[in-house]
Amino acid sequence: MTIPTRPLSLTINGKAVGPIDVPDGLMMVDFLHEYLNLTGSRFGCGIGVCHACTVILDGPDGSEEIRSCITGAHFFAGKSIRTVEGLASRQGGVIAITPVQQSYLDHYSFQCGYCTPGFVVGATVLLERLACAPIPRSRVESVVSEAMERHICRCTGYVRYYEAVKDTILSTPGLTVEG
Amino acid sequence: MGRHVHSRARQAAGAASAADDVSLSRRGFLKAATIAGVTVWIAPLGSPAHAALFEDRNLTAPDWRASGAFTRYRIDGRAKVTGAKVFARDIRAVDMPGWPPRQSHAMFLRATRADRPYQGFDLGLLGPDLQPDRVVTAEDLARDGVAFPAFYGDDMLLPAGKVPAYLGHAVAMLIFHDFARYRYARDRLQFDPDVVRYGKPAAVPDREPWGIFRYVRIGGATPYDDDAYSSLKDSPLFPTEKKTPVWPRISAEDSVDSRGMRAAGQIARELDSPPDHWLVLERRYRTQSVDTAALEPDNANCWYDPRDQALHMVLATQSPQEVAGEAARMVAASRFPLRRLFIHPCYTVGYGSKDHCNVPYYGLAAALYGEGRPVRFAVDRYEHFQTALKRHSFDMRYRIAVDKRSGLFQSFRGDLVGNAGGRANFSPSVAMVAATAAQSVYYFPKNDFIATAAATRAVDAGSARGYGTLQSMAATEMMVDEIAALLGLDPIELRLRNVLKSGMKNTQGAIPAGAVRADEVMARARRHPLWIARAKKKAEFDAAHPDRSYGVGFGCVQKDFGTGGEAAFVRIELGPDGRLVLHHTGVEIGTGTSTSQAVMCAGWFGRPADEVRTAVIDWPELPMVGEADTYTILQEEQDRLAADPMWTPVHASPSSASNSVYFFGHATRETARVVFEHGLWPAAMDIWSRGIGGGQAASYVVRREDARWVEGRLTANGMQPLPLDALAARAHEKGYVTAAVGHTFNRWQWAQADFAVGGQTVRRPLDGLAVRHGKGPGYDIIRRANVFYPPAQRNNAGVTYYSANAALVELAVHLSSGKVELLSHHSIMECGNQVVPQLVSGQLQGGVAMGIGHALHEYLPLYEDGPGNGTWNFNRYHLPRASDVAVWNQSGEILPPLSETDPPKGIAEVVMIPVVAAIVNGIAHAIGHRFTELPVTADKIQEVLGA
Repeated sequence: MTIPTRPLSLTINGKAVGPIDVPDGLMMVDFLHEYLNLTGSRFGCGIGVCHACTVILDGPDGSEEIRSCITGAHFFAGKSIRTVEGLASRQGGVIAITPVQQSYLDHYSFQCGYCTPGFVVGATVLLERLACAPIPRSRVESVVSEAMERHICRCTGYVRYYEAVKDTILSTPGLTVEG
Repeated sequence: MGRHVHSRARQAAGAASAADDVSLSRRGFLKAATIAGVTVWIAPLGSPAHAALFEDRNLTAPDWRASGAFTRYRIDGRAKVTGAKVFARDIRAVDMPGWPPRQSHAMFLRATRADRPYQGFDLGLLGPDLQPDRVVTAEDLARDGVAFPAFYGDDMLLPAGKVPAYLGHAVAMLIFHDFARYRYARDRLQFDPDVVRYGKPAAVPDREPWGIFRYVRIGGATPYDDDAYSSLKDSPLFPTEKKTPVWPRISAEDSVDSRGMRAAGQIARELDSPPDHWLVLERRYRTQSVDTAALEPDNANCWYDPRDQALHMVLATQSPQEVAGEAARMVAASRFPLRRLFIHPCYTVGYGSKDHCNVPYYGLAAALYGEGRPVRFAVDRYEHFQTALKRHSFDMRYRIAVDKRSGLFQSFRGDLVGNAGGRANFSPSVAMVAATAAQSVYYFPKNDFIATAAATRAVDAGSARGYGTLQSMAATEMMVDEIAALLGLDPIELRLRNVLKSGMKNTQGAIPAGAVRADEVMARARRHPLWIARAKKKAEFDAAHPDRSYGVGFGCVQKDFGTGGEAAFVRIELGPDGRLVLHHTGVEIGTGTSTSQAVMCAGWFGRPADEVRTAVIDWPELPMVGEADTYTILQEEQDRLAADPMWTPVHASPSSASNSVYFFGHATRETARVVFEHGLWPAAMDIWSRGIGGGQAASYVVRREDARWVEGRLTANGMQPLPLDALAARAHEKGYVTAAVGHTFNRWQWAQADFAVGGQTVRRPLDGLAVRHGKGPGYDIIRRANVFYPPAQRNNAGVTYYSANAALVELAVHLSSGKVELLSHHSIMECGNQVVPQLVSGQLQGGVAMGIGHALHEYLPLYEDGPGNGTWNFNRYHLPRASDVAVWNQSGEILPPLSETDPPKGIAEVVMIPVVAAIVNGIAHAIGHRFTELPVTADKIQEVLGA
């Protein structure tokens, strides 16, 4: 059985990628790691449970979090995604990290850091969603719980991650309303 | 005894090569000791040596405020939050300069039966297009002389005809030179039961345990009097036969063993025929096999270059020093020629599962057979469950006697059996430490503990966070709660009556170090609203929620930190501009040690280190030597070897045993102190004494012990505050000490020696020191004098350093489903002075979460249905989620230190333990049933409620 491949083209972190010949059944996480050397979206379980591997799929209705370990690379043909490596902006040698990333630093949210890219992606998607549909301040904790529950962390017990996301939501204009 | 193994891995100290020249290559590698004829070169990812290979900005200087010794965020934070390559798992051949860019991949076929002989394999289902490029079996290894280091045991690959030693035993290695074929082949082969072939079922003989130990103690008239018999004072006991333990005979002569057995006999008789005022409770507690489930699955990426006779290893390990030494020896013993070994330790995570694990050696073997190509061995999560080091399942039979009149414990007899699986690893030591910790926070006048590490066909168990004490202490805390109920006493009241106090002895007969503050921790818990109001709140809650039952539980433990064989190297360098660079042996495994060690420099330099290198294995400035087994060395041998001023029992410890803040921190602080005392202080006095009549210092009494750093400037007794850069410049100019390399050793006590620098002799808790004067070049080794090494007998102390931690848990049991809902929890911990409070609180939060998983959710069958069969993943193994840990409703408090001079104490393991007992005790309060087997699942609760 020769491995059948098809050319794949997509946009990653604002740049056009491909066409690259990619095996039909290859998962996105393997494509990112082995073909593009983008290893930030981490492999944790390979079965879509831990969410360390998530990437952001940008579409006309907004952004969503997709598990790259159980989604085929070809699913993303012609689409546009962001990975953790592309969230900070680089001007020359200076890196400007995002408010979510800064908040995780300020709150000492992670320890080993293996799951951190997934938490960055998850919180980023959440904040982008709230920017379009703000929530009452009293609901922030439950919304954070609901959005981030899917992400497994083994080191931290989640407290500092959640506090950071809550803090970022409350301090970013336009994400919440009174109530 | 501390942590060790009986088939000792030798330390990477390279005795014969102490005199080898030290040189920096053009590529910036530092040449380490030569081991077994192989020169070992180390370049941790993120090091200048590695940066010389490629642009590398993983570590950033701590961003901190001058108003306090405080960092705004972790030194490794930016790299981790931007998804930079920091883990070995992130690395591919193309990332490594000088490596061939094409990455090959290795996988292993594994036996999933251990009751019949292995008889080969059939790769037919791969078809012609997915066949591996290279297949390696036990025959190849035998022919080529490739074998595990002794610590890891036999049959790196199982030879045909043999019964697998354990489920998941590797039988063949397959190497693929391109990723797609590897990936598709692995998919095809995984889970197929017909690939590996077996013969007929064979009777598998019982195996001798990996180790058995016995700790007997009979105390004196009071806890402060000398013991009649103890392990420290006399000896632990060892059986003459292990399979069915045969203990030393009691003979007429008064041998140490004889006296010990007589003491054991006395304890047994008293428990069998107790006086009327004794309550003797007997309980059996069982804990499950657990996977620590580090999110970074095991991996290694290695390249063997046959033309250059060089081996390169990118490693995920908590024990890089061990790997450096053993890898060199392993290849040197084979037919593969090797002149140079390059080790690249990375940031990693393991909770013990990557300490002394065999993955680097499988990775090395893959490289040897890689035909000159870099080979990556990286398991997926199914394979990680199948092979990663597990936490021991324990079966513990306890008998505790208590005086009914006073509530005082009288005697504790324990039989603890840990299921070590099919390789020894640290299992004898884990069993030992489990036994020595069973006493939890209490004083027992008498004890007899037998600890056994059983050899079975289960997956190998090793050094998992808690190291046996999680299992044994949590069980004790459950039993103590039950005793309180039987005596009609408040559970904390009973504990307080029995709490070990400062100066009392532990069950090995040793006196714990410093103040024991478990009593303060418990007193706080007793005053906590959760505890005070628990009866009232239960009545109210149960009435308002008929479908649930409320409970509050408590547990308190103290956990040792360190191994009884702790060693570290530290180098502190001060540049002429005041830039401070710290190198140390600790590995960053998520604890934040890279940050804490940098912050500790602030005590002597007014601010944290600007740059930190972790996992440094090479110390050419201070080439200490030594190959002893520190745990079994005889006193005479130690005395003889110590006469060599460059000898030390241990080169450097792995990052484990909650050892970084106290033990590595000691090395950091004591080495920094040398630079301060012989460098900065003379520079300060030089500046303050400048000018006519002795300058500004002449009229005041200026003492070094009065020196203080205030907002980054040094002052003393009213002298002009001086910034570090001015002091550094003066020290460089005048040739004062501007850098030092220190080595430390601790066997439940620090080694010490006299060191003469600049005409001053100071006795320091170091056993090795080298200093640089001014700009150097190079370092001067300061020959130690009058060295004191802790006596070998101290190995029998068991443990002496402790931190105490307690947990109060508030929960509700859902009566229909059996689900346990954690409503809130509160921890109370004492750990001396905190270096970076956010890191301490993060450890507590994470440890409690792991403890919750252990108590309620995580379970692995030991044998054929367990992970050794390769089918386990996070869908079946429930790791705690945020909703499982009361993420928004938890709190913790740290006791204030006794004073600003308390050392910081290790807490990375103790944080996960008391919550386990608190949950089980809380369930007892809720539904009136005391579980003795973990995890307490909803199913088990339903069974009890239904009955």
